[in-house]
Amino acid sequence: MYRTISIIAFLITLGGIGLNCFLRPCKECWRHPLKKLVQLFTMLFIEQKLSPAGVFRKLVYLLALLCFVVLAITGFYPTLVLGEHISGYLLMIHATFAPVLAICLAVLAVMWARNCRLNSNDWPWFQRIVQRVTLVQSADEEISCKSCIGQKIAFWLIIFLALPLILSSVLSMFPYFGTYWQELLLSLHRYTALVFALVVIVHTYLLIRPKM
Amino acid sequence: MNNGLKLTGFLCLLVLSACAFAVETELKLLGDESDGSMSPPPHLIPVYAESETGEKGEQITPDMEFPMPFSTRWSCSDCHNYNLVKKGWHFNVMDSNVPPGRPGEPWVYYDPGLCLQIPLSYRRWQGTFRPEQIGLSEYKFTKIFGRHTPGGGPGEVDTTEADEIGRQLLSGKLEINCLACHNAHYGQDMGGLSGYAVQVSRENFRWAAAASCEFATVTGSASQMPMTYDPFMPDPDQKNAPTVNYHKEAFNENDEVLFQIVREVPNERCYYCHSDLYQGAEEKTEKWTQDEDIHLTAGLKCVDCHRNGVDHNIIRGYDKETDISENPLVATSTCEGCHLPEGEDEPEAGRLGAPVPTHPGIPTVHFDRLTCTACHSGPWPGEQTTLTKTSRAHRLGTPNVNKAAEGLPHVISPVFASQGQNGAGYKPELLATENGKIAPYKVLWPAYWGIIEQDNVEPVELSVVEKVIGGAFADIELAATGDWPQINKEMIAEAIKALSEAVAGRAVYIAGGKLYSTDESGNLVEQDNHPAAEPYLWPVGHNVRPAAQALGVRYCTDCHATNAPFFFGDIKIDSPIAAERDSLKRMIEFQDISPSYAWAFAASFVFRPWLKIVAIGSCAVMAGVLLLYALRALACIIKALASENK
Repeated sequence: MYRTISIIAFLITLGGIGLNCFLRPCKECWRHPLKKLVQLFTMLFIEQKLSPAGVFRKLVYLLALLCFVVLAITGFYPTLVLGEHISGYLLMIHATFAPVLAICLAVLAVMWARNCRLNSNDWPWFQRIVQRVTLVQSADEEISCKSCIGQKIAFWLIIFLALPLILSSVLSMFPYFGTYWQELLLSLHRYTALVFALVVIVHTYLLIRPKM
Repeated sequence: MNNGLKLTGFLCLLVLSACAFAVETELKLLGDESDGSMSPPPHLIPVYAESETGEKGEQITPDMEFPMPFSTRWSCSDCHNYNLVKKGWHFNVMDSNVPPGRPGEPWVYYDPGLCLQIPLSYRRWQGTFRPEQIGLSEYKFTKIFGRHTPGGGPGEVDTTEADEIGRQLLSGKLEINCLACHNAHYGQDMGGLSGYAVQVSRENFRWAAAASCEFATVTGSASQMPMTYDPFMPDPDQKNAPTVNYHKEAFNENDEVLFQIVREVPNERCYYCHSDLYQGAEEKTEKWTQDEDIHLTAGLKCVDCHRNGVDHNIIRGYDKETDISENPLVATSTCEGCHLPEGEDEPEAGRLGAPVPTHPGIPTVHFDRLTCTACHSGPWPGEQTTLTKTSRAHRLGTPNVNKAAEGLPHVISPVFASQGQNGAGYKPELLATENGKIAPYKVLWPAYWGIIEQDNVEPVELSVVEKVIGGAFADIELAATGDWPQINKEMIAEAIKALSEAVAGRAVYIAGGKLYSTDESGNLVEQDNHPAAEPYLWPVGHNVRPAAQALGVRYCTDCHATNAPFFFGDIKIDSPIAAERDSLKRMIEFQDISPSYAWAFAASFVFRPWLKIVAIGSCAVMAGVLLLYALRALACIIKALASENK
């Protein structure tokens, strides 16, 4: 069940990103794909113009990204590919990188929260989404290009999801929860991890996309 | 009449006869089917001897001058179908159609003088040998091991050995002794000085059941009688002739005897054959220093879980037994059956007062990897396994038993091994074990002389071993404790050489997990990890410890520590060869787990508290940020709403 849901969820998310790329193609990408790839790669570097805090923030972000990749591979590979629970060395790697990610997320939460708070620039975006959903038409407003509401929402979702994701794992280590709750916590961890991973993918895409 | 018609008629007759036989064997008699009353019926019954022709003989009366022993078969069969009872697990060992089920405790033939310790079984358990493979006929097997059987099985087989036919006519057969289990009288004597076990060892098979009951005394020994002695025509002048004397007061005016028969077998009867003595470093060998199984302490009886109907198809009580057993209560009589039932129509949890376990803090993966007994059964594991005595292997509860801790056979426990490893698994469809799960085991390192052909080692018959090895080791000094004598490798090489000359084939010796043979120049060659040298393992089911004493109750490091006995405990390799006696194996070698992984995983638990602190600390920071900005957002909303109101 979980395996099926996860595979479908990943396919939908990646499909959505692909569709977005197709509908709003980046012309440069098609013309000079290698150049764009190099440009994307350079995003991993620390820019010289960054302040010490900025350097630290970027380093933490990159470390968090690395931990996420490792955790996603070690967590999802046994479940989705092998069809079994995580165990053995993969479990040990998973448990080693998990606290590092937790620290990174806490640091990023502190350092990014201010930049990611919703402000008046985000209001038209929000309004447009509401209008699309409710089909209520109103006078068009110019939407600020500086607004990145998607990234912001993704950021807050990541921080919000990190809590049940981490706690579901840590609390099961305490001798307070019996088998029923252990199973519940395990399920919570798995499903939260799935949503967390999808949000991180979307967040990363939204970070990259404007620079393409 | 043409031939076809004749054949058809014959076949019909055959089928009808088979049906009639089947009906007769399956027929339930008066006492085989309950009318629903929970009250046990009194067993005030006449007792009968077996006739010379093996039929129902005359009724025993107290005034008989030379009474014969009463036969349980003919005394009980008025109300109970003996053939039905014979199908029970305790008696059906000779029936090759019975699935062997999970490997169980073998019979161990041992002889320190011959450096022998070999597991035997009539059931097809890999790692055991059939008694006939070492030249033990059913008659001899019964004489040696019948002491701890409730009769039946090999004890009722007609011997085909020429020298045993006469002896069996004298001794009779060791028929099923109903009293061994169902007699609740305190006078039931299984292991006393003239009780059941002694009578069996004296070849008084016919007299054994009578000797075990409270109202008869048996003297004499059939083994000391000449083969010409006729027990049905007793000679009062014959010394040591097996004789039974009944206590006259046991008979009423109708010459009936009141048996204290109970349906539910008392625990003490089970204990006679199913006792274990774990000889730890603390030397807790006295009964008063040990606790019973928690189920018994809670007030249950052995037969509350190990149940059977009239067919005596008793529940052994392991998880996959449902695959091979026809007992309808098998599924509900395992650990999970009582403690974790999920009743569809009606609640089943808590049967017999079984608490539903919560297992706080135990990740559920443990239930996929471990049997319940891994954490709850047997002694608490120590740094090294201990020598363990069992009733059947060590003749516990019988006269003149060797009480020395080192006495053979050397059974070692607890060993935590994966099911399906090291001979513990064998044809899963027949054994129906939970393959792969780690469970506690008792272990026996076989030591025997054999002939190797390709990779298959067949044990050499006892008569040959006694003659050849007995001769070669004639001068060795036997330990007073019953331990192995002092044997060195040169002696083994010499013995193999001598044996090679006496048998057809290449002689080898198996001991301590190694196969010893000699090369062309007569030098001893050792081979590790030969399949024939693998230890035999059988599961530890009892004693069950309560939840508060289960592994993992204190912390994960009960098992997940770099020195935890569960993974890294030492298993003593038992060998008659003195130089090999200090050899050890680690528990992990019996488990389907990489040792380096187990060590690394255990070592990681050192950092577990830090992991918890870091994770919870990070969560606290993130929760703080979320709360802060949520409050600020709320403040903005309130502010916006307030300004709109203006």
